[in-house]
Amino acid sequence: MKIFFTLVFILLSHTTFATEQAEEIFAQLTPSLYQIKLIDKASGEKSSIGSGFQISKEGIIATNYHVISSYARHPEKYRIEYLDHQGNTAEVDLVSVDVINDLALVKRQVNGDMPYFKLSDTKPIKGEKLFALGNPHDLGMIVVPGTYNGLKKESFNERIHFTGSINSGMSGGPVVNKSEQVVGINVATSGNQIGFLVPHEKLVKLFYDYNKEAPEDIKQQMAAQLFSNQNKLMKALLTNTWQSKELAGKAMFPVIKVPFIRCWGDSNADKKDALILAAIANCSLDENTYLSSHFFTGSVEIEFRYMQAKNLSDNKFYHLYQKQIARAGTGNRAGKDDVSEYQCNHDLITPVSTANTSKTITNKSVFCTRAYKDFPGLFDVLYLGASVDKNQQALVSHFTLAGVSQENAMAFTGKFMEAVSWK
Amino acid sequence: MEVAMKVNTEAMKDAQVGNTETEPAIPVSSDDLPIEQGEIIIEEITRNHKLLHRHRLKQNNITIGRNYQNDIILTDPHICPQHLSLNYSQDVWCINDNNSVNGTSLENKECKKQDGNQQVLNDGDVIVLGKSQLRILFKSHSVVDTIAFSPFESLIDLIRHPVAVLTSIALFILITANIAYLNQPTEINISQLFVSAFSMSLLFALWPAAVALVSHLTKHDPRILAQLGISFTFFILMWLSDLLEEIIAFNSASNSVLGLIIALVPISLAFSLFWLNSYIGFHVSSKRRIVVALSITILLFGGSYLLQYSKKPEFNPHPQYSATIMAPSYLIAPSNSVDSFIEQSNALFEQANKAAQQD
Repeated sequence: MKIFFTLVFILLSHTTFATEQAEEIFAQLTPSLYQIKLIDKASGEKSSIGSGFQISKEGIIATNYHVISSYARHPEKYRIEYLDHQGNTAEVDLVSVDVINDLALVKRQVNGDMPYFKLSDTKPIKGEKLFALGNPHDLGMIVVPGTYNGLKKESFNERIHFTGSINSGMSGGPVVNKSEQVVGINVATSGNQIGFLVPHEKLVKLFYDYNKEAPEDIKQQMAAQLFSNQNKLMKALLTNTWQSKELAGKAMFPVIKVPFIRCWGDSNADKKDALILAAIANCSLDENTYLSSHFFTGSVEIEFRYMQAKNLSDNKFYHLYQKQIARAGTGNRAGKDDVSEYQCNHDLITPVSTANTSKTITNKSVFCTRAYKDFPGLFDVLYLGASVDKNQQALVSHFTLAGVSQENAMAFTGKFMEAVSWK
Repeated sequence: MEVAMKVNTEAMKDAQVGNTETEPAIPVSSDDLPIEQGEIIIEEITRNHKLLHRHRLKQNNITIGRNYQNDIILTDPHICPQHLSLNYSQDVWCINDNNSVNGTSLENKECKKQDGNQQVLNDGDVIVLGKSQLRILFKSHSVVDTIAFSPFESLIDLIRHPVAVLTSIALFILITANIAYLNQPTEINISQLFVSAFSMSLLFALWPAAVALVSHLTKHDPRILAQLGISFTFFILMWLSDLLEEIIAFNSASNSVLGLIIALVPISLAFSLFWLNSYIGFHVSSKRRIVVALSITILLFGGSYLLQYSKKPEFNPHPQYSATIMAPSYLIAPSNSVDSFIEQSNALFEQANKAAQQD
């Protein structure tokens, strides 16, 4: 019993200590905290909100790209405004973005020296107490205590795993350590106290680059960032080992040995009345790049599906099989203003297998691509291979890549096609 | 005198043939020329110029009207009891309106309408009285050439044989049941398949039945067996062309010319079906038959194309590709290498760029 009380006491005192610390931090930092509002010019009302914080005495405010994404895509329709702790509002200019890490810099007019957030020089350590600041759901500025839990496992673009409540509207707000230095920027949540932050190094780099040379055109800056990010991603995918794995003991498919591509599996072996036995292996990149609320890019999806007929005629098996492959969808969301319609072709292909040379596969192969309107040179691609050489068995190999160059897309397609075969 | 007498007896004989109730002909004076006997064909026709009755009259005076003393009795209430009379003299027929209430008008071959009273009749003229029409023809009226039996006739004879009709319907039911079986993703029992296939064949039988009904209504021979046989034979042929199209789509790469050509087969099949339907069901000129068959074909395919086109969204975010696959036994074409596919696909990027710049 004594131990229990001691524990409760310790916990209580700890919370009190934390609360005091939070109050102190909030009081000191609040003049440099802002709510960032996107105002629709035609209606004069705000269309989206987020948080931001000042990082230089000249009036540079950091926030998330996704808070101001509508302005970045359609500057003629919106304007960006800040709202400070005293209720003052004024327009700000968008000066630089990092679309891959979801960061943006806006600049406000300043009259004299102003207090601002210091960016930390060091990374936090696992278990360290951090404080997230922001304005959730337009309810007013708050401070949320939480814990640093290292970087998100297996991510391609690093994110900090923060245990603490991050809510919408807090996006773009800073996360500080006990010495009030910024170590991360609120960016996303998966609910239940799991929040994600952009590591502060990304902001340091963006701010450094901005000071060295401010970008001339935001769209061009975004295009360059998207282009180099896909080069980095595709290089990692193409140069790492493609390990050959068995699917249902009958087919060979490649698994790319990179930590950020994760695979899942499923089959219908438990369904006795199914006419076709199916086994599915599914690998994908868990993250994507936000461009606007209806336009995402940077996703990678790979799927293999093995099918075996159970007491079916060949014709019926192929009829049902055709239905399975008739509607391959896209991997990312994009609208009329963002991309062209898909252009497709198809042919019968027998690739020279790199995995199992004697057991080649003959596929009906379909390739589709669509071009980005605002970012020339980037494409979404889709490939679908459906085996047509076995009477009672089928293997579907499929992938989608979003926002890649033609060269990378074709290199990946060629390598992918040759990595699939029968066992 | 002798000569005149001879002529008179001949005239009398003629008169007896034309009208047995006439009084014995009064011998005409020897100075007059014998009176020539008029002969006329009067057709009662509908407003669409369809024949109702045909009268052949050999007399010089013809009365037409509603009462029972007339030579031609018409029941149309808009016609007067003694509406009009036709008189033959000096080689011409004249029309006389007896002050009828609704009058009489005359339409000649050039479709010119004029008042009918005291007019000279020509071959092919149409008399309009009340709401009825009479077409006047003389025995010298020329008829169109005889139409020889076309080779279709023997084909139709073969197809309309009850055994052939039953066979084609049975084959159609089998094909429909097979298609339903292939498309069913779960287990299905045979009786269920055949019930739905049978109802499908009933549905498809509506078309030949409708054609036969229309030809019956338009006073033609319905020939229902021939219509059924021809229609079901063509439904089977269309299924075959579908199969052929599928095999070609499966074996060919995109943009193949063969795929485009094969798309024309169902259209020409539909045209042939409609042409034969009209050939069996209606006696119309060949030009008209082609026009009718062509219009139905255009209506059918153009309509379905328009329907598809109107449903097409302004922007389709999903890829549209041909994913026709068939069992390996249908695989005829050789397959290509990855390099050729990559080369082919490279061209798509240029297309996509163009499409992106367009709007």
